[in-house]
Amino acid sequence: MPAPPKSSSGVPLWGQFPAGGRSLLRDLPVLAAGFAIFYGLLVFARYGIGPVNTQAEIQLAPGALPKYAFFSVTRIAIAYFLSLGFTLVYGYVAAYNSKAERLMIPLLDILQSIPVLSFLPPVMIAMIGLFPHSQLGAELGCIVLILTGQVWNMTFSFYSSLKSIPREMHEAAEVYRLNWWQRLWQMELPFSAIGLIWNSIMSVAGAWFFLMACEMFTLGTRDLRLPGLGSYLQTAANQGDTHSIAWGLAVMVAIIVVIDQVVWRPAIAWAEKFKFEQVEAAEPTHSPVLDLLRRSKLLPLVARVSLRPAGEALNLHFSRSAMAAAGKPQERKSTDWIWRSLMAVGLAATGYAVFRMTQMLAQVSSAEALGIVRGAGATFLRVEATLALAGLWTIPVGVYVGLRPKLSALIQPVAQIAASVPATALFPVILLFLIRTGGGMGVGSVLLLLLGTQWYILFNIIAGATAIPTDLKEVCGVFRMGRVERWRKLFMPGIFPYLITGFITASGGAWNASIVAEYFRFQGKTLSTVGLGAVISQATDAGNFHVLLAATISMAAMVVTLNRLVWRRLYGLASTKFKLET
Amino acid sequence: MNPPGTEKLHEALSQGQWENAVSMLQRLDATDAAGLMMDLPFEEQQILFRIVPDDFAATLVSRFPYYHSYVLLHTRSLEHLRAIVNKMPPGERLQFLDELPGEAWQRLMDELSAEGPAADGEGAPVAVAGAVSKRPPAVEPIAEAVQVEKCFIQPDGHQIQVIAATDLALEPGAITALLGPSGSGKSTLLRILTGLIKPSKGIVLWHGRPIHDCAPNLAIVFQSFALFPWLSVLDNVETPLLARGMEHEERHRRAVQALHTVGLQGFENAYPKELSGGMKQRVGIARALALEPEILFMDEPFSALDVLTAENLRGELMELWLGKKIPTRSIFLVTHNIEEAATLADRILVLGRNPARIRADFRIPLKHPRDRNSAEFLVYVDYIYKLMTQPELEPAPPSAPARAAKAPYPMLPHARPGGIAGMLELLGDRGGKDDLYHVAEELLWEVDDLLPIVEAATLLGFAETEKGDVRITDAGREFANADIPTRKVLFRNAALAHATLLQQIHTGLTSKSDGSMPLEFFRDILEEHFSAEETQRQIETALNWGRYGEIFSYDAESDKLFLARLEHAGDTQRDLLHHS
Repeated sequence: MPAPPKSSSGVPLWGQFPAGGRSLLRDLPVLAAGFAIFYGLLVFARYGIGPVNTQAEIQLAPGALPKYAFFSVTRIAIAYFLSLGFTLVYGYVAAYNSKAERLMIPLLDILQSIPVLSFLPPVMIAMIGLFPHSQLGAELGCIVLILTGQVWNMTFSFYSSLKSIPREMHEAAEVYRLNWWQRLWQMELPFSAIGLIWNSIMSVAGAWFFLMACEMFTLGTRDLRLPGLGSYLQTAANQGDTHSIAWGLAVMVAIIVVIDQVVWRPAIAWAEKFKFEQVEAAEPTHSPVLDLLRRSKLLPLVARVSLRPAGEALNLHFSRSAMAAAGKPQERKSTDWIWRSLMAVGLAATGYAVFRMTQMLAQVSSAEALGIVRGAGATFLRVEATLALAGLWTIPVGVYVGLRPKLSALIQPVAQIAASVPATALFPVILLFLIRTGGGMGVGSVLLLLLGTQWYILFNIIAGATAIPTDLKEVCGVFRMGRVERWRKLFMPGIFPYLITGFITASGGAWNASIVAEYFRFQGKTLSTVGLGAVISQATDAGNFHVLLAATISMAAMVVTLNRLVWRRLYGLASTKFKLET
Repeated sequence: MNPPGTEKLHEALSQGQWENAVSMLQRLDATDAAGLMMDLPFEEQQILFRIVPDDFAATLVSRFPYYHSYVLLHTRSLEHLRAIVNKMPPGERLQFLDELPGEAWQRLMDELSAEGPAADGEGAPVAVAGAVSKRPPAVEPIAEAVQVEKCFIQPDGHQIQVIAATDLALEPGAITALLGPSGSGKSTLLRILTGLIKPSKGIVLWHGRPIHDCAPNLAIVFQSFALFPWLSVLDNVETPLLARGMEHEERHRRAVQALHTVGLQGFENAYPKELSGGMKQRVGIARALALEPEILFMDEPFSALDVLTAENLRGELMELWLGKKIPTRSIFLVTHNIEEAATLADRILVLGRNPARIRADFRIPLKHPRDRNSAEFLVYVDYIYKLMTQPELEPAPPSAPARAAKAPYPMLPHARPGGIAGMLELLGDRGGKDDLYHVAEELLWEVDDLLPIVEAATLLGFAETEKGDVRITDAGREFANADIPTRKVLFRNAALAHATLLQQIHTGLTSKSDGSMPLEFFRDILEEHFSAEETQRQIETALNWGRYGEIFSYDAESDKLFLARLEHAGDTQRDLLHHS
């Protein structure tokens, strides 16, 4: 084992850089990654300020794929960081301002239930209007669209983490007078890190799911397409080019697997230290990439000369300004009038919007209204059928796997990769198959919803079955319970809370996914079936804003109602009666 | 059988006319006067005793139980103490001294014979900043709460008072312990004093200035430690120093020193989750000490630790405090452990509940370190037990305005039937009567466990308390000796006879044709009187009692109560009815 290079204090900064080929070799991946990111940003910036080209010719040659993949990844990344910023601000305000909380949380609930495509027309028109002369407008529109698909659950997670910080910890922060900067970095962010990371993973998966819809769409008379992996796949599907579909799909899966290994695994392993438990976990998560970063000599050095002094200076700055403010008698600044005027403005705006909305809704003809109602009924049945079908195969398989630790260790990674493939990208392949066997969009849409949602349920059931205590299983053995008895008395109640969690996530996802599942452009034709999602997609395509509004409101209303009436109650039951105390 | 003038006395007291009350007492027969005073809340007793003339005090002393007199005597200055004892009739004095345990006797003898005032410095005259007393304390207090009150507003607009108007001053150089039953608002009071919670009324002053206008130098040690698990031990201690804008070197130096003080050198880079509970609390104490706080507040700091660890940590804390190794000028300790309070504290405050108010405020003049087996120490422990089990008198403080004068709803003590039976059995084995302190010791119960059980047994008519002793009644003996089905019937009858909530539920259920009612109905009634948490505990206790006594059953799924059909217990009950 080589001795660690000795560094004595007093050596000038450049002298502290690790010497020797071995450590340079070790840092090579880190350095290369840094340069690659920098180059990528340059390319994207050059493209972004370039002239307007919303009708980019999408080349189907596999050679064009790296460029497209890069553009898509960049869009998703930018949208993700914007989501993160929004999450931090919105969650923070909602958690600490009880007046705002009462408005912001129900609003979030509604926003979450609005499907991505409904945001498309307003977002696009606003963004293109904002930057009419550069590519930036359309690009920003696409990014914001991706953002609307991933931001809400992250915000919810951050908000509920902040809300669950233990009371005494808050009090410690207050009595020891931590300034807001310290609280953020030493209490709030660490406390919500794990939840944020898991929700980020889900959000980015959602972004891949809707990528095709976000990168290529028609808006009234305008046909917009932005170069990217999504538009590549969509174009290939339009032309029925199986070869290109396969190439695109392969690249997408590769990217998803790489991002999982390079970003999410290390992040999860790193976040282990933020587990809010007072005892040490038995088996921590491992990530080779994180180990590489940890072994790196370069990163700690960079941190020592840049981040740490900067952090120290910032901390001292905030502390001293907070101290200066605390010493003096506080003038009771009344913020009430600000609130009241804000509320008044908000109310007026809401009132006006509602007025205009009703005007717009009045344009909906009775035929269109009937279409919406029929569509809503159809989509409702479709979603529930999907959930039932998913439950039918995932419950026995999940319990079977979950009860066998060795098997589940084998199956889980494979299933995770399968789950990470966005179902929308597989859709053309499935449609091809269905058309050959004579099935149509009706079957196809259910299949697509199933592909998109079954994994949530499966993973939850496996987790639930794994968590069933051994002594309860032994009790079943001792009393010689039959198979039916075991399922009724132990397995079903045991996995119930997990099942419900899985179904809630799946149900929300299925409603949202119905807009791409029920309406698809394929081989130059538009395939669609009866459903609310199809109504929304069609209205977007045709620029039929009043129908879009009415259908969106219907969908949001149905999702929120279902959540409140069915899922929340079941969840309450799951967390009381069926909770396995440990 | 109240002696004449009782009402007048109470009236005078409620208006704060202390001198008037004293002259009334003096006009009474001495035994009656002593009896009347014994029935008063402790803080009033204390104030009265401080202002009565010495010769009257002398007649009272021989009529109070000895421990009571002993503590009251020590609320007076040494001069007065001598004068009072001297003025006692010789026979009574002899009897009083005779009853005192050895060491208490020795101390009193020393005090009586010592030359000059305050010879040993510990029996020094102490002015007690009592709850009702308006006298200025002898020393300038560091922190002072003036008429603080706390109310919570229920969602339905009901206002529930959790802390009644309270005055409290914390002086330098003393450890003050705040004792009280669980749910009495001890922690709320601590949080008001530290500025974490704003009082609904009143003000907290820090060196005479409102606490929110100055940045008081204080620290809290929390029951749950409240350490940041993702920061190393050193970073945890440094965090508050950083918040004060301290440079890195100074921060590091002070943190390391604080860790050294609590014996954690070498653990700087460990993470809290790697440490045991006791070590975690050491980090919590180091974090507090690094700030060199003027007052160190401790919120049940040892109650999450096992007995030995807690004992060890207490000893070390006292060593630091007595050896003046920490710059802290005062310690305020919230605890429900009587022995802990008596071991550590120079001054003890006892809190009553519903709403919280200070029932007693007295000094323990014993020297540190205290010997827990000394008879004098036991006198104090015994005394606190008696005080806490003494039923609360006069719950309405004199300052309370006539707000919606609603009779307080009788509260069910949070005891399980099993616990009640256990204590009764023990009493039966002990000849039917024992000292509460001994019972607690025997059953390894803390006051929090013991008090509700004693209260419940008393409420049900199974036991009686008298001046700190608990005695089993005939009904209690019958209950303790019965088999399980009979016990259930006896319990049922007693509960229906004495427990208001169970009576109400039973009456409600019998009046319904289907014998069922939603629990929600009773929850609503309770919520008009209690906080949400207390309501929950009342419900839990009622369900527990009702199910045990087979008065009613409860179905959690429909949230409904059902009248229990006494199928198997029916015969036994009929038998019992025939008997009586």
